[in-house]
Amino acid sequence: MKVCFQRRDFLKLLAKLWIVVPGMSRAGVVCAADTLKLRSQPGKAQVVIAKRPGVLNSSGEVSVSLVNQMIEAGITALTGFSEVKQAWRSLFNPEDVIGIKVNAMGGRSICTHHEVAFGVADSLVKAGIKPYNIIIWDRLTDELRKGGYQINRDKNSLRCFGTDNDYEPEPETSGSIGSCFSTIISRHCNALISIPVLKDHDLSGVSINLKNFYGAIHNPNKYHDNGCDPYIADVNAHPYIKRKLRLIICDALFVQYNGGPGYRPNWSCLYGGLLFSNDPVAVDQVGYQIIDEHRKNHGMKPLAVDGRVPQHIQSAARLNLGIADPTKIETVYV
Amino acid sequence: MYEDIKLKYAVSRRMFIKQLSCAAFSLGLMPLPAQTAFKISRGTAYAATSEQLKEVMFYKKLPDLKVACEICPKNCTIADLERGYCGNKENRGGIYYTLIYSRPCAAHIDPIEKKPLFHCLPSTRAFSIATAGCNFECRFCQNWNIAQYRPEQIENMNISPEEVAAAARRQGCATIAYTYSEPVVFYEYMYDCARAGKKAGIGSVMISNGYINEEPLRVLCKQLLAVKIDLKSFSDKFYRDYCSGELAPVLKSLQVLKELGMWFEIVVLVIPTLNDSPAEIKEMVQWIYKNLGPDVPLHFSRFHPMYKIKNLPPTAVNTLETCHKIAQAAGLRFVYIGNVPGHPAENTYCPRCRKILIQRMGYAIIKNEINDGKCSCGHPIPGIWKLPASL
Repeated sequence: MKVCFQRRDFLKLLAKLWIVVPGMSRAGVVCAADTLKLRSQPGKAQVVIAKRPGVLNSSGEVSVSLVNQMIEAGITALTGFSEVKQAWRSLFNPEDVIGIKVNAMGGRSICTHHEVAFGVADSLVKAGIKPYNIIIWDRLTDELRKGGYQINRDKNSLRCFGTDNDYEPEPETSGSIGSCFSTIISRHCNALISIPVLKDHDLSGVSINLKNFYGAIHNPNKYHDNGCDPYIADVNAHPYIKRKLRLIICDALFVQYNGGPGYRPNWSCLYGGLLFSNDPVAVDQVGYQIIDEHRKNHGMKPLAVDGRVPQHIQSAARLNLGIADPTKIETVYV
Repeated sequence: MYEDIKLKYAVSRRMFIKQLSCAAFSLGLMPLPAQTAFKISRGTAYAATSEQLKEVMFYKKLPDLKVACEICPKNCTIADLERGYCGNKENRGGIYYTLIYSRPCAAHIDPIEKKPLFHCLPSTRAFSIATAGCNFECRFCQNWNIAQYRPEQIENMNISPEEVAAAARRQGCATIAYTYSEPVVFYEYMYDCARAGKKAGIGSVMISNGYINEEPLRVLCKQLLAVKIDLKSFSDKFYRDYCSGELAPVLKSLQVLKELGMWFEIVVLVIPTLNDSPAEIKEMVQWIYKNLGPDVPLHFSRFHPMYKIKNLPPTAVNTLETCHKIAQAAGLRFVYIGNVPGHPAENTYCPRCRKILIQRMGYAIIKNEINDGKCSCGHPIPGIWKLPASL
C-alpha cells in the first residue's frame, strides 16, 4: 500500500505536534495565543470592558477587591473560560516569563494603578505562574517608584523595576524606527501583558496600548514627528512586541480626555473600567472612542477635528497588528 | 595643484621614525581621561528636583502648560512631562528644564587637532566635554552611544562650569571644547562654561552641527573663540533622510558666523554613495567660496561604518582626494583630508609659495613654521595662532 504524505498533511501534523508537545515553552506560547484567537471570528476582534463605578471611592482610593473582581470578570469573559485559572492558562504556560508593561510616566495621579498591575500578577500566580517569572516594568525605576510601585529585584519573588539603562547594545530596525530595545522584552520575557492607561496625548492623539511601547525603546523622543506616525506602529511591529504580546488590559479607572500626557485634573474623570483584549489595535480603537465620547460630553471637539486624529491606530492595522475598523470590533460589557 | 603636494611628500626613513614617535606621543596624549577626578553616577539628572535643575535659556511658555523650545530649528512644542527631540530637556509643569546642566557624560583632554581645528592654536590641548543628547539623528553617528541616548540611560559626572574651567587650567589646556555629541543641546552648560573659562583665561570652541537658531547663536558667539561646523551634505534630502534635519538652517549659521567674524572651520564627512558625488561637492564648495570666502578651512573626512550605516565601506582615499581637488579648483585655499593619518593633505600649505607651514601626522604637529600669522614669504595665514590676551 502506498502511503501518500502530502505537503499539506505534513504541515497539519507539524501543527498538531506543535500543540501537544509539552515543555516547549515557545511552542506553548503559540498554542495558547492561537486558542484564544479561535474564539473570535476571523477578521474580527473583541474588547471586554469590566466596569465597576465604585472601584474608586470619593477620596480616590482604589478598591482592591473590586479591581480583583474586574480582573476575574474580564479575563474569563475574554477567553470564554468560566474558571479564572483556566482563563489564564489558555493564555500563558507555567514556564512563561511574563513582562507586565505598565505606564508609570506622570506620577501616581495618571500612571497605571499599581493595584491593577499587582492584581493581575497575583491572579497569574494563583493560576500557576511562578512569581519570580513575572516582571512588572516600565522605562525607569524612578518613575515606577513615583507611581507608588514597590521596587523589587529579588529573583526569587515577583519583580518590579525599570529598564533604566539595560538596553540592547545595538539598534534594531523596524520599519521607520531604529532603536535599542529594553532587555526586559528582548532577553528576560517570552510573553507580555500591556497595562496602559486611557489618556489623551498632545501629539499622537491618544496614549493607550500602542503608545505604551514607546517605553520599551531608548530613543522615543526621536519619534514624535507627524503625530508619532508611523513610528508607534513600527515599534509595535518589532518581533519583541508583535510575537510576545498576548494580552492588553487597559487601566481605565480614570480617563483623561484632554491635555495629556501629563496629569490634568480638570480634564480627567472617573470611568471605573478595565478594557481587556488580545488585539493591540482594537483596544486602542475602543479607547479612542471612549476618549472622544468624553470630549463630546464636555463640549470639546473630537480629536480628528482638533487635528490630532490618532493615525497610528490605522497604521498599526495596515501592518496587520490588529483590527481598527469599529464595525469589526465587538465590545462586551461585564 | 594636488599633484604638486604629492610630489613634495617624499618620506625618508629618518622622517618616518620621527613621525612615528610623534604619533606615539600623540596617542599617549589622547584621549587623556579627565573624568577620573569627578564622581560618576547614573540618573542623577533625571532624579533631580526642579529646584536643582537649570531652566532652559531660550523657550517660551504656551497655554495648557506647554512650552516651545527656541534653541534649535526643530522648534519643538513640548507638553507637560514630555521632552524635546534632543531628549535632554523636560517640561515640568510648564517650565522647561535642561537635565544635563553640569552633568557631562564625557571629559577628555584632546589635541585641538582632533576636533579638527587646524587654524586655531595648533598643538594645544582642549579640555573636551559632552553631555547626552543631540538634535539630529545621523544614521552614521560616530558617537551615538552618548548622542542618541537620554541622560539617565548613561553615566554622567557632576562638574560645574567653574570646575570645568579650573580643571582645564590645571591641565594646561588652552581651550574648553564642547564636542563629541551636540553642544547646541547643552547650550546653557556650554554658555556658562565658556563664561567661566574666559575668567580663567581659557578660550572655548564649539564643535557643532550648526543646527541652531540665529538668536542663541549670536548670544553664544560672544563667549566663544572658534567654531567647527559639520556640514553633513549639500542636499536637503540627505539632511532629512539621514540626519533628521535640514540644510538651510546650517547654511544660515555659517553665514552668521562669517558676519560675526568668528573663526570657524568646516568638516564634511564623505560617505560613499550618499554624499560623495562630484557634482554635489562642487556645488557645496562654490557656495562656500561665494558666501564664506576662500580662507575658511574645509576638511573632507573619511567615513567609517557606524550606528545604522554599517553596510557601506570606509571612504576610499581617492574619493577624498577628488573632493580635495574640486575644492581647490573652486578657489578654496585651505582644504584638508581627515581620518587618513600621514596623508599630505593633512598639512597646511602657504597659498602663495606652497611651502609646508604646519606638518601634521594624525593629531600630532611635526613642525609649525607660521610666525606672527604669516608664512616666511610674508603671506598671511588666517586663523588664531595665539590665545588672545583678552578673551
